[in-house]
Amino acid sequence: MTTDAWYDEQHRLTPDQLDTVSFPLTRWARHGYEEEPVRAFLAQVQAEMVRLINERSSLWQEVQRLRRRILGTSNGNDAVLFGKDDAHIHAVRILSSAQRTADRYVADAQAYSGRLTEEARVRRDEIMVQAQQHADMLLTEARDRARAAAVAAMDNESLPPQTDQERRAVHAELAYLRTFSEVYRQHLKIYTEDVLRTIEDWESKERAAARDIPLPRDTGVRGPNTPGIR
Amino acid sequence: MNIARLKSSFARVAMHGDEVPLHFYSDLFLKHPETRDMFPVSMQAQRSHLVAALVTIVSNVEDLDALTTFARDLGRDHRKFGALAEHYDAVGASLLATFAHFCGQAWDSELEADWKAAYELIASVMIAAAREDEKHNPAYWTGTVVARERRAFDVSVLTVRPEPRLDYLPGQSAAIESPARPRLWRYYSMANAPRADSTVEFHVRLIDGGAVSMALTAHTPDGAELRMGPPVGALRLDLASSREILMVAGSTGLAPLKAMVEQLTSLPRPPAVQLFFGARAADGLYDLPSLEKLAADHPWLTVVPVVSAGRSAGQAGTLTDAVLSTANWSGHDAYLAGPTEMVQDTAARLAAAGMPPTQIHVEDFGWSEP
Repeated sequence: MTTDAWYDEQHRLTPDQLDTVSFPLTRWARHGYEEEPVRAFLAQVQAEMVRLINERSSLWQEVQRLRRRILGTSNGNDAVLFGKDDAHIHAVRILSSAQRTADRYVADAQAYSGRLTEEARVRRDEIMVQAQQHADMLLTEARDRARAAAVAAMDNESLPPQTDQERRAVHAELAYLRTFSEVYRQHLKIYTEDVLRTIEDWESKERAAARDIPLPRDTGVRGPNTPGIR
Repeated sequence: MNIARLKSSFARVAMHGDEVPLHFYSDLFLKHPETRDMFPVSMQAQRSHLVAALVTIVSNVEDLDALTTFARDLGRDHRKFGALAEHYDAVGASLLATFAHFCGQAWDSELEADWKAAYELIASVMIAAAREDEKHNPAYWTGTVVARERRAFDVSVLTVRPEPRLDYLPGQSAAIESPARPRLWRYYSMANAPRADSTVEFHVRLIDGGAVSMALTAHTPDGAELRMGPPVGALRLDLASSREILMVAGSTGLAPLKAMVEQLTSLPRPPAVQLFFGARAADGLYDLPSLEKLAADHPWLTVVPVVSAGRSAGQAGTLTDAVLSTANWSGHDAYLAGPTEMVQDTAARLAAAGMPPTQIHVEDFGWSEP
């Protein structure tokens, strides 16, 4: 018997479970069950039925094979363990099992690739939000400084500097503000460039990684003259 | 041919679920190893396609017209996979062997004769349709990638030159296979009205884990040769209508609608068109500059960008909400394309607001949906 080789024996449904199964009551009404658990359970019952039907069919074929073998013996012919048909069915089962394995590998690889791109997408959104917040903060700060400087300048205008000393102080203040705004502009520029570089780096890494991911190998279930995946 | 017996034996076979197509393909590949190369590595989706086709055939077995139409389309569609007349015998033999296997005791010579006759009927219609199609169209078109432009984090626009020229109606799609992912076909809509230089644009959104979209955005250099199937899809402009037009495009669902807008530009007196273009974030409005240029050149076109999350210049909230809160559209023709959920939701709410269903046009690949 080979049909059940790929079944997961641990999750089989038992008559006991049918006897004791309970569903959470729905939150919205006094009557009825939550739909999802019931659906999940029905799916399990359906899978179990398919298994049982397949097992029954395999058993029936096994009985037929053995019956043929016995009849063959009683007729005095040479009994064979596997007739031509049996060998073919056996080969079909082996190939089917290999195909299932291949399907699983492909599905796993796709799920993995899906997770990677999803993570990359989330990370990229985070970086963008952070950069935006930081830029906003720098701008607000610069604007506040500028406003303070303007207010200070206006205050000074109403009372023009009288002495050389005062004038020098105002010039010094102006020079300081100019340098300060220059520094801030540089700061903002470097920061923005850095963010852009990070994004570019990350994009090129993403491209390189995408190139390095090997294509699925030949799984052995293809024909003998198959060139494989290009 | 005993139809009741065909149906009841099919029901018995179908009880075995995925085992049936699995057995069929293993039987076919063992007897004819050369056919394996016509299929992708993973056969999971293929098995569902086969079962879906068989179910359609068996449930329409009394409706000869529907059956013939289905078989004709199927026959034409199979040309791009390289299906030849001789393959039909191999498939028929494995199909019968599979049914015999799962019918068990109930399989007898009469049932076998019935199934053989049914299969031969379907196969002959498919082969005849494929032969007829050969006179007008190639088995597949070779599409050379002439330009690739990354418009957003996850959206690229591919410009492709099909050889020979691909004739289609704006709104239609074609199946595309990338050389990086052989035997995997996905449908993409042509995003422009037919051009003099015969090039077509495709808007490709990178789907997380999507093998073909990844191949088309990352592994398809300029000059790469894609394979393209014949144009399919029922979405197209109702040129007989004189109503004004509402278009709702979610993300790359814009492609077929933009092709239709381009088609309208060639009409002498185009109806007023309001095009809602929605994305999750502002950078997902990947084609806005081009749409705004179209709107500036053509006063009958209004473009409304909608962003459902984050900061932006456009309207905020879901695309459906934005559309529904703008006006009562029941006197318009509506064309919807994009994520299935958005399209269904919008269609349902437009209908609930009084729009007759005949005025709501959505993308429909019918039986050939991937």
